[in-house]
Amino acid sequence: MSFSRIYNVFFKRNSVFVGTIFASAFIFQAAFDSGITKWYNNHNKGKLWVDVKKSLEEGNGDDDDDDE
Amino acid sequence: MINKRCLSSTNKAQISTYKTPDFGDAVKKDKSTDKGRSYAYFMIGSLGMLSAAGGKSTVETFLGSMSASADVLAMAKVEVNLASIPEGKNAVVKWQGKPVFIRHRTAHEIEEANQVDITSLKDPQADADRVKNPSWLVMLGVCTHLGCVPIGEAGDFGGWFCPCHGSHYDISGRIRKGPAPLNLEIPTYEFQDDTLIVG
Repeated sequence: MSFSRIYNVFFKRNSVFVGTIFASAFIFQAAFDSGITKWYNNHNKGKLWVDVKKSLEEGNGDDDDDDE
Repeated sequence: MINKRCLSSTNKAQISTYKTPDFGDAVKKDKSTDKGRSYAYFMIGSLGMLSAAGGKSTVETFLGSMSASADVLAMAKVEVNLASIPEGKNAVVKWQGKPVFIRHRTAHEIEEANQVDITSLKDPQADADRVKNPSWLVMLGVCTHLGCVPIGEAGDFGGWFCPCHGSHYDISGRIRKGPAPLNLEIPTYEFQDDTLIVG
């Protein structure tokens, strides 16, 4: 029953089918991008600049700041 | 029966005498094809989605490669519409990563800049040598002391004031007081009708 509904909503009309594909491509791209970034950040935890920067600030805060 | 080629397959005459085997065991009880059909369409659609996303990325990459790269931007010129700067106002534009001050000077300010005794200056330079058109003062907004960005319409000499170490520049951008050794630098620029081109 539900499959016939899916068919009637999404697949029956080609315009709706193609439109759904393009719309989901946009969503997929954003989700894929953020997902991979999240995994990458998680995989390299402790080696990233944000972590290194934090440890530098904690370790020796007397970095000479030559901004005049 | 009749066995000729015919365009219409719904024609009764086209039904062949070939005996169809019984696929009864393989056919679903309720004869619903919706599940399999939806599955097939879903897989087709998923492939289409991946292709579309890949195509989009490819196009985006190509378009991105066409935009100006960092080395081109570093050599870029900046165009400023002078009509948008009223008299007595400053404008700051970014050129090669540095701020460029543009001041539309009033007649009084030009007079003030010319009245200064050049020999009394730390970095002697006449106002006429610093501007192409006395109405427009164009200079790099980087303090010659240690590279801060001075504040406009401030300081003891009605020009610019550097908040870092207190250098005062006059209305011609010349150093008048404070630790800076040189006047504010003048970039190469030219006027074209109503447009200023820095670079």
